[in-house]
Amino acid sequence: MSESPRPARRKVVTDAVREAAPVLALLVLLALATLLPPDLAGVALRLESADRTRANGMDAAFDRLPERALVLVAFDADLGTYAEIRPVVRAAIADLQGRGARLAMVSFTAEGRALAVAELSRLQRLGGGVEEIADLGFAGAAEAGLIGAIARIVPSEAEGSIVEAIRSRGADLDAFALALVVSGGDLSVRSWVEQVLPRVPDLPIAAIAPTFLEPELAPYLRTGQLRALLATLPEGLAYADGVAAADGGRTASVGAMPMLVGLLVALGLIVQSLMAPLVRQSRPDRWRRIG
Amino acid sequence: MNGLFGNDFGGIAATWFAAAATIAVWSYLVGARTVFRLVQYLLAGLATGYLALLAIDEVLVPRLISPLLDDPAAHVALIPAAGLVAVMVGAAWLPARITAPVTGVLVGGIAALALGGAVLGTLLPQIASAILPADAARRSMLDAAAAIGITVLVVLSFTHGTTVGRLSGRATVVGRWLLIGGIGGWLGFLLVSRLALLVDRLAFLLGDWLGLLR
Repeated sequence: MSESPRPARRKVVTDAVREAAPVLALLVLLALATLLPPDLAGVALRLESADRTRANGMDAAFDRLPERALVLVAFDADLGTYAEIRPVVRAAIADLQGRGARLAMVSFTAEGRALAVAELSRLQRLGGGVEEIADLGFAGAAEAGLIGAIARIVPSEAEGSIVEAIRSRGADLDAFALALVVSGGDLSVRSWVEQVLPRVPDLPIAAIAPTFLEPELAPYLRTGQLRALLATLPEGLAYADGVAAADGGRTASVGAMPMLVGLLVALGLIVQSLMAPLVRQSRPDRWRRIG
Repeated sequence: MNGLFGNDFGGIAATWFAAAATIAVWSYLVGARTVFRLVQYLLAGLATGYLALLAIDEVLVPRLISPLLDDPAAHVALIPAAGLVAVMVGAAWLPARITAPVTGVLVGGIAALALGGAVLGTLLPQIASAILPADAARRSMLDAAAAIGITVLVVLSFTHGTTVGRLSGRATVVGRWLLIGGIGGWLGFLLVSRLALLVDRLAFLLGDWLGLLR
């Protein structure tokens, strides 16, 4: 006699839940840790980097701006990694606005445009000076669009006092005192260095990028092609905390407590995976074989 | 809390929808393949619709069609561009002898752009900065020596099985451990980065959606 479909189906679901139990347990653990007061993690984990070199570099790049400087925010983050750099991007925009800079936002990627629109509408909702940010829209065509924007970045239908200020200075990239590139996977600041900098050598470029882009971008910081770069979570948070401290406010940050729990779990898994074969087999030649 | 949605009806609906989508993606963990597949189709459909809308509304109409219709004489260069777009749109029905040259022009243009940029923006400046000046400080020389030493060891690590002699064999092992150490360090950075993304999603569910975080 064949087994009825319902118990078979229940068995499949039970097996799947049993298989996923460790991951589900991790999610529950992280959720519980998220609900705990973040100060509890402060003793054991400091998310922001103690080395403020990169954060100071961003500060220095902003310090060099003239009064009422025109700053282009090239918003090309991607949906997958934006959450990592979001607190830093918001801190940088608030910092620039606090310094009296006049911001214009443009995107060259579709995902960047979606996120730029979301951030602009958030600022509008908060009343956080969105009238100070000119929306230059979506330029499209990735690198080709980037090169096209060198000569003409302002769309004909754009209007507003900042747009007029950009137009009066030529409506090209030379009009800006700084380009702050919010980088993502589709179009990173590397494209800016490779395509824009050889054509507009006097444009200072600062960048905020997710961690995976750090090895690609760090050499540009060393050569001075980038004025400033924040490309890992710790150095980004060091900068964001500095901005929050200067404003006397509180920056939306990454939860320290769940991060601590997550890192401890990861550490436990690494130790377990290293020790298990040692304990089980205790074969010294296994270590040598890796080499 | 990501603060991307407001407290009006649209914002609340978007929050509920985003929460449902997050949970639907996570349902893959317990074997709910159908739900996960539906969310994938939804993402693909939304992305395609969004890209088409963006391309038509913000690129093709204002930058190609409108200038050509309003003042064709002033935008002669856009006529071949319109031809290229027309061929690409009809690529599925047109013979290869028509689409191949157009694709070649596109690929060639993109490659030329990328190659030129890579040489002028990356290769030459990086080579220039890597060349040490004659009066380089001792520290720079030491850094360079360390860099050369590590590079040689790591390169040697790829010669597994072909090294001759005890010394080069040991150098290979050291190189391989350096490589593993480097990759391990980098994975540590990525772990923090990916963990931050997961924590952000949880904070969204608990804070923005359920209102448990203040």
